[in-house]
Amino acid sequence: MSFQRQVSQALDTDHRANIDLLGRLELAFARAGRSGMAGDAGLGKLAGALVRQLEQDVGRHFDFEERDLFPRLAAAGEGDIAALLMDEHEAIRSVAAEVLPLARAAAAATLDAAGWEALKRGTLELVERQVSHIQKETMALLPMLEDLLDEDSDRELALAYASG
Amino acid sequence: MKLATGAFLAGAGSRLLPPSIPFRFFGAAAVFHLCAWIALLIDADGAARFAGGLGWPLAALHFGTLGVLAMTAIGASLQLLPVATRRPVGSGRWPAVIWWLYAPGVALTALGMGTGATTMLAAGAIAVVAALVAYAALLARNLIGAKGMPVVVAHGWAALASLIVVIATALALAGTYVGMATIDRATAIALHVVFAAYGFMGMLALGLSYIVVPMFALSAAPAERPARTSFALAVLALTLAGIAALGVVPELLRTAAIAAGLAAVAVHLRLMAIALKTGMRRHLGRSFTLVRMAWAALVASLVVALAVVHDAPLGGLATQFALVVIGGWLLTFALAILQRIVPFLASMHATQVQTGGRSLPPTPSALTAERPLAIHFACHLAALGLLAVAVAADSAAAVRVAAAMGTAGALAFGAFFAVAMRRMRRPPTPASPGTMPAA
Repeated sequence: MSFQRQVSQALDTDHRANIDLLGRLELAFARAGRSGMAGDAGLGKLAGALVRQLEQDVGRHFDFEERDLFPRLAAAGEGDIAALLMDEHEAIRSVAAEVLPLARAAAAATLDAAGWEALKRGTLELVERQVSHIQKETMALLPMLEDLLDEDSDRELALAYASG
Repeated sequence: MKLATGAFLAGAGSRLLPPSIPFRFFGAAAVFHLCAWIALLIDADGAARFAGGLGWPLAALHFGTLGVLAMTAIGASLQLLPVATRRPVGSGRWPAVIWWLYAPGVALTALGMGTGATTMLAAGAIAVVAALVAYAALLARNLIGAKGMPVVVAHGWAALASLIVVIATALALAGTYVGMATIDRATAIALHVVFAAYGFMGMLALGLSYIVVPMFALSAAPAERPARTSFALAVLALTLAGIAALGVVPELLRTAAIAAGLAAVAVHLRLMAIALKTGMRRHLGRSFTLVRMAWAALVASLVVALAVVHDAPLGGLATQFALVVIGGWLLTFALAILQRIVPFLASMHATQVQTGGRSLPPTPSALTAERPLAIHFACHLAALGLLAVAVAADSAAAVRVAAAMGTAGALAFGAFFAVAMRRMRRPPTPASPGTMPAA
């Protein structure tokens, strides 16, 4: 999908960055195998990037959508889609809350073997939930924003998101 | 346990359809898929050189085309076209009415064909036509005033126009069975085959691919200009084939139509290859292996069509053409997309489960039964391959084995669908990370 609105483009860019990192983590886990995770410096580095993403970007992205976009969707008669996406945010937040301390420990090289296994499981679940969520937002939310936002509100919201 | 909010709030005015709408069409497609293979098994002797006429091979063909392909196309278009048109379906009641007319109508039509009961066939055909007319009206209403994705919308219009030709020729053909001839049978068959396979189903498959392939691959939208070129070439191909069916320099125009069709497909597949290569999800698993095979069969169908047009000295070529276009391309494509879309949609409407302090909706992979899909994959490909051999060798025994393999595959596919529906209502665990398929 290609988007004209700045807000749609910014969210799409964030989605891509998010999936890019999760995809690299998924690949790194697959390459490292069961025994190699703890000693894999590349994985530790990626875990650090995941911490930054979960702490800063995911929260900012979700909060912006819930505060500034979903109410507009609901007002336009698409409250069911907004509610569905909100449910998925909650699910992703819940998985992220489990993954975050493990990723922090991995980045600090203090994670034990069981922790690495848990981090791998959690990351794979996060990947699937994020991919599925992004697919829905790309198919539903972002195209709707093309209709719901005019140029002024698009500019205003894009600015708010960039500075948020 | 609690239900996902979307399951409660889905309304007729929204773009999020209640699950009962798409799943009733997809479920019926899974059942008719099984019926198609069983019908072929009933009269394997008549299948290898099937060239029309009442009987179980004709029933198998229509269980496949009306029961699986068109059924899936209706369900998928109701779900996906609003994404492209940025307009809701508008009514939750009409899709249900269409299903209640269409599903029994398909069963009656195919059973009437199989048993030679022309009254049953006529009753079924009337129900099917009524359902398809209602669907065409729903489709037209959604396409009128469409706001987004002009290429997909254009494919929708071409599919709609083709559907009108298909309905008119179907009525003419069904009329001949009950003694009411309207247009020449050969002309009606030529128009019916081209506009059903490449027109209605083909244009929907090509158009909806511009939505689903980038969606699952997480790629950018295919470039608009080449997509328009592909569309224009496909429309040219259909027009030429239509004129040829009316008896105007048929050999020349059919050859030109196939050339235009091949060019349209080449551009379309180039766009799909770019989407898959540049998408952020490259490993799309077994379902996309089937999609790639379906695309190869689409190209092969046009090559076989060329051989048919020029009377290549090979036995059973017309039957081989039907097998490649319907089984190889459209059926393989529809089943591949269904196995991606069913868990995806089911996860949107699934019951949440409270376990270990978490209350989460299941992931699509947690709703996917992988083993039945693996069995279906092997059986489907083996059945189609064996059928091709059976047609070439004019072997009823090989048709029988192929139909048995197809039946086993259809049972496995039905099990996959049933498991997805059961897990949607009662997920086994909150999520099953680590077992997810390529997505």
